Amino acid sequence: MNTTWIVLGVIALAVVFVISQYNRLIRLNVSVDEAFSQIEVQLKRRSDLIPNLVETVKGYAAHEKEAFEKVVAARAQATSATGVHDVAVADGALTQALRGLLAVAEAYPDLKASANFLQLQDELATTENKVAFSRQFYNDSVRSLNQTVKTFPGNFFAGLAKVGDREFYEVEDPQDRKAPKVQF
Amino acid sequence: MSEVNFRAQQAANKRKTFMLLALFGALMWLVVYAALTYMGSSTAGIVPIAVGLSLISVWGSYYASDKLVLTMTGARQIQESDNPRLYALIQEVCIASGLPMPKVAIVEDSAPNAFATGRNPEHALIAFTTGILDAMDKDELQGVIAHEMAHVANRDTLVSAVAATTAGAIAIFSDFLMRMMWFGGGRRDNREGGNNPIALVLSLVVLILAPIAAMLLKAAISRRREALADATAVQFTRNPSGLRKALEVLQADSTVVTHASNAVAHLYIESPLDSSSVSKLFATHPPLSERIAILRSMESGA
Repeated sequence: MNTTWIVLGVIALAVVFVISQYNRLIRLNVSVDEAFSQIEVQLKRRSDLIPNLVETVKGYAAHEKEAFEKVVAARAQATSATGVHDVAVADGALTQALRGLLAVAEAYPDLKASANFLQLQDELATTENKVAFSRQFYNDSVRSLNQTVKTFPGNFFAGLAKVGDREFYEVEDPQDRKAPKVQF
Repeated sequence: MSEVNFRAQQAANKRKTFMLLALFGALMWLVVYAALTYMGSSTAGIVPIAVGLSLISVWGSYYASDKLVLTMTGARQIQESDNPRLYALIQEVCIASGLPMPKVAIVEDSAPNAFATGRNPEHALIAFTTGILDAMDKDELQGVIAHEMAHVANRDTLVSAVAATTAGAIAIFSDFLMRMMWFGGGRRDNREGGNNPIALVLSLVVLILAPIAAMLLKAAISRRREALADATAVQFTRNPSGLRKALEVLQADSTVVTHASNAVAHLYIESPLDSSSVSKLFATHPPLSERIAILRSMESGA
């Protein structure tokens, strides 16, 4: 009689353990999805700011065609991108193009002083921060998922839960990648 | 210095919190054991009463912490339109931490300080004094916000409620025993320790010192949670220098929050009380200089 209870107890504990591991993996996987959609939300917000920004800059610096076209093209690319890798690439390109546009704006004191431009620049800065933080949170979520999937006991249940490791969000940013030149 | 990164700091502080909570449990057990030795088995009935009383008194303030603290500190809740810049900074930290947007409140006080409360992330409230909003630049303020949101993420209201319940139960229990000794003189007939005088003296010492030990443990847990919140804040912003500069601003400032009392001291980012009058062991926060040094080493280590 006593041993039956012990066996039942052990089985119950094992069941609870399996369920909790399974749920943990599912939860981590869902949080990666949520983190990715947060990136998309913030990228969308940034995209929405762009037409206004372009119009404002055009008012003062209409002949800087190249900078505008780059931004507009990158924006179009970014809105149509799907999948972690493509979104990240388009995101990096748009960030670059925006940086170019703002650099152009530097040469026009009237533009820099206009209230509209200042407000847009402010909004853009906050949105850029939000994009950066959402990328960071996504990568943190992927990091903890991948760690769980690859280590014991998570690796045991990954197949059961149909959860695998996920792709990091890596933005190609030539400015970050530039290795410092060392000269002797 | 490579070991000083926020993940190592977080792990160390979590481990220490766990050890301190385990010590708390051991203390509770020791007190009950001492009581049984000194007063006899009749005292066993007091234990659930003491725990129950403590639980009731702490649970109410834990559950309604977001509303209660508003009245205790004189904080006034604000909306996004009242301070869009502050809201933008908080939204950034929320995105970085994956936490829902907390309620935001302002305390009219020129002393720079901030605190977080609420029973869970969905009921979180973070408050800032007008002094801290004036004194800090964007990066510093973001560091402070991240520290407060770190308290929310680490559920420090719950941790401090557990510590307060245990400390309260021990205080109530020893208070009961002291009264019993006064009036009943101890029930010498059913002592379990028999006539061993050493056991009796030791038990008495434990009973007398237990409430103080409980307070020390509670303060030690609070200090660990502060250090943990600093490390978690760095996880959110990846910018140790922001919080470090913010703490330096606090260090340079000597004003003391007028509404603060011992009851809410543990909530603030910096101890709101005059630190010279409080011994380091009873302090709810690690010394600012120590926190600054750890953040500085994270800057160079990361």
